[in-house]
Amino acid sequence: MTVSPIGSMMSAAAAGPTSAAQLAQGVQQAAPGATVDPTSAGGQAGGDFGNVVVNALQGVQDSQNTANTLAVQAATGDLTDVHNYTIAATEASLQTELTVAVRDRAVEAFNQIMAMQI
Amino acid sequence: MAIFPVFDTASSALTTNRIWMDAISDNLANVNTIKPFDQPAFQARFIEAQELPSQPGDPIGVGGGVTAAAVEYGDSTGIERYEPGNPMANAQGIVRSPDVDLSQNMTDLIIAQRAYELNLAVVDRASQSYQQAIQINGK
Repeated sequence: MTVSPIGSMMSAAAAGPTSAAQLAQGVQQAAPGATVDPTSAGGQAGGDFGNVVVNALQGVQDSQNTANTLAVQAATGDLTDVHNYTIAATEASLQTELTVAVRDRAVEAFNQIMAMQI
Repeated sequence: MAIFPVFDTASSALTTNRIWMDAISDNLANVNTIKPFDQPAFQARFIEAQELPSQPGDPIGVGGGVTAAAVEYGDSTGIERYEPGNPMANAQGIVRSPDVDLSQNMTDLIIAQRAYELNLAVVDRASQSYQQAIQINGK
């Protein structure tokens, strides 16, 4: 079950701009057509996997924005603490790495299912 | 709560130690600031560090970090020194020089710098740990 929202999310991502909101739409559109309710299929309080990914993407976006703001401050000389920028940049890159890792595992799982001999 | 709470904690410590180094820098910059007898002497700055409580919902082990809560000032009397040649001296030839303890400030500076390094090391180790966790079973 968890595979199908990812697939539709990937297609939503491939079709146009990849804003988190659009990804969320893609997931929500996919949900009614799905035969199994994701929340009943072992889903917990956090919602289905798609929503988790969308929330994570929002977090990545926020941390990237923070890092960008601090980078501008560094360039204009308004940055009071050098470590604020470097730590924000580290956090943003870690979050991006984490999201990429999650996506890679999800795509790998999807591909393995697709390659199954029937 | 952030996904990587250690960065916020270390960041607060870095900021506090930076503020401490700023204060020490000001103390050392004014080590030779002589004042006339009828004016208060330069007052050395002392930074008061205070721990921050953890936020509700934080897991155990996650604290709020540290903050520079207040600044205390040293004695405005300073050290009354006999310098009759100084244009700022009064009729008795007395001026006020700041009561800045040089050796104490140099020691504090080293402690502050080491503490700053220490927290940078924490950021470094945490970043490495998270990166390794992300790369579990990765290709």
